[in-house]
Amino acid sequence: MRQFDQQRWLRKKWETLSEIPLRAHYGPEDIPAEHLARLGSPPGQGPFLRGAYPQGFRSKPWRIFQLSGFGKPEDENERIKFLLAHGETGFLMEHDRNTADHLFNVDHPEVQARSEDVGLTGAVMQSVRDIAICLDGIPIESTYGHAGGAVVQHAPFALAGYWTVAKRRGLDLARLAGTGQSDYFLTYLGCVTKQQVPTRAGLRLNVDIMEFCNRHLPRWVPISIAGYNGADTGLNAYQELGSVFANAVEYLDEVKRRGSMDMEAAAKAVGGMNFRCCMDIFEEASKLRAARAMWHQLLEERYGIHNEKVMNLRIHVVTAGSSMAYQQPLNNIARGTLMGLAAVLGGAQSLGVSGYDEALSVPSEHAHQMSVRIQQILQNETNVCGVVDPLGGSYYVESLTADLISKGWEFFEEIQKRGGFLECLDSGWLHAKAHENQNADMDAQASGERTIVGVTDFVEDHAPFEVDGFMGVGDAYEVACDRLQELRRTRDGKAVGVALKQVNAACRGEENVMPAMMAALEADVSLGEIGDVFREVFGDWDTPITA
Amino acid sequence: MNQQRRILLAKTGLDGHWRGPSVVAKALRDGGFEVIMIGMTTVDEIVQAALDEDVDLVGLSIGGHIEVAERAVLALREAGIDRPVFAGGVVPPWARKRLEAQGVEVYPPGSQLPDIVAAARRLTGLSVAQ
Repeated sequence: MRQFDQQRWLRKKWETLSEIPLRAHYGPEDIPAEHLARLGSPPGQGPFLRGAYPQGFRSKPWRIFQLSGFGKPEDENERIKFLLAHGETGFLMEHDRNTADHLFNVDHPEVQARSEDVGLTGAVMQSVRDIAICLDGIPIESTYGHAGGAVVQHAPFALAGYWTVAKRRGLDLARLAGTGQSDYFLTYLGCVTKQQVPTRAGLRLNVDIMEFCNRHLPRWVPISIAGYNGADTGLNAYQELGSVFANAVEYLDEVKRRGSMDMEAAAKAVGGMNFRCCMDIFEEASKLRAARAMWHQLLEERYGIHNEKVMNLRIHVVTAGSSMAYQQPLNNIARGTLMGLAAVLGGAQSLGVSGYDEALSVPSEHAHQMSVRIQQILQNETNVCGVVDPLGGSYYVESLTADLISKGWEFFEEIQKRGGFLECLDSGWLHAKAHENQNADMDAQASGERTIVGVTDFVEDHAPFEVDGFMGVGDAYEVACDRLQELRRTRDGKAVGVALKQVNAACRGEENVMPAMMAALEADVSLGEIGDVFREVFGDWDTPITA
Repeated sequence: MNQQRRILLAKTGLDGHWRGPSVVAKALRDGGFEVIMIGMTTVDEIVQAALDEDVDLVGLSIGGHIEVAERAVLALREAGIDRPVFAGGVVPPWARKRLEAQGVEVYPPGSQLPDIVAAARRLTGLSVAQ
């Protein structure tokens, strides 16, 4: 068992987690001239290095925004209400990954073969009826919601379902605020999924969603590029930056090619992104500052956009699940707090703190509540909300921010040289980059270069505090089977057939798929039936790695 | 007994998180094993692959629930495959105990690769010291 060792400490190589070498102290000479220009603008002005809004958290504290969901739609509804009652200020719906990621109903053989897993990672929602149960009693007109649909091919279904529930409640979609995610990083990089549409078909679906929101839901954030899932798979801080913006230009270039949407509106639609913050506090805070400046620069230089109202990147942060340890799990409360602090120092607009039982299970109710409490303590007790960009002007942080910007652009350019972001997903190049870092991280842990308390060092045979983790989901699968049968029995079969034909025709043609998707959800079309259409029209992605 | 040992690595769930199995696979290959990765597979497919590939050890990557992993172990035994099984992934302590009762060695998050390679050596009848 390793303990503190003075010799090892003195031999320690001081560098950031992205392996940017660190000096013992920094001075004015470490801030490059071009970076001083960025630093000259106050918060709320381009290039937004110092913050997206002039008054920062004084005008609006960050949104407390936790992923939540498991079991039956009723279970997820109960957990969302629990979190909102404890002070969460937005909610994120999780859909069961067995069904949602693959667009399978519960009676698909691949799901039946693992029926016990169903409902473990989100509620099973196979139709608009299930989504309505999940949202029952939640005032979505006044509470910012994340409809789920983190996965590109699932987003049309999840969003159309959420919006259909809103319409049935008599809400005006034009006034509805919220987000989905509809992003590549999760299932094309982080947890590679075989049964999903190819990347180019995904691009088409996502730009359709952008256009649809532009026309009908102007307050909705249609897609949210989730660098988090790249970073937690292994990409380092500047690789996360480079790949996120390489992803963004796929969308913006496609919008430009179609010519169907104003570029400023498109920039705003893509300008809500999701980053990870891990344990290197200063590097992560610097990364968020760098991200805002890079986004501003990209819009200006590549698309000639100058309207600052659409150029301020809004950032959601999730603290690194992979930084949470299985061993001595209560230590993770400290980790969640520190990673959350990094996000706040970097000026994030919303935050989810991973549960202290993250490495054991989906969050228990207590761990979930703790994630909310950590954020409330940061907001209310620490005074971090009083001053915008409190790290701004630090020689170290500015030097690091400038480094991350230039290394981020280098990585961006490397992706462009290899054919762009989607090509780098198809070819497995990004997976290989992540894999290099995964291995380096494990080697550093084994060799003693990297210490993780309670894991590599300061290990205890008998943990002083054990937690159970989440205990299970009960009858999610059985109830989902019953509801699927009931759906088939009680819906208008003819209307379902018509709606599916329309979805099929839209997918085959060039028109936007979302109107047909809205009609399909309205007609009680099920998740798996949408999946069947996608599989027939688009086929499956050819995965670059075995997963 | 100097023949290269063969290890099957499979994922029991419909969740493709690959970071765990990929670092384990690389470490095992670097440690001299032949690793056959079959990704997301059903219990039947795991049994079939273990038979076809005549492996010395089966590794299961488990994301969360363990009932499918428990069924996989039972199915391997019913098919007459008496090779050892080890597992990794997000496995809460209560679930870990259940798998261990089935004779499965469990390596939760935070397990170090040299320990996993040493376990593979021991479980396939090689001396632990390389």
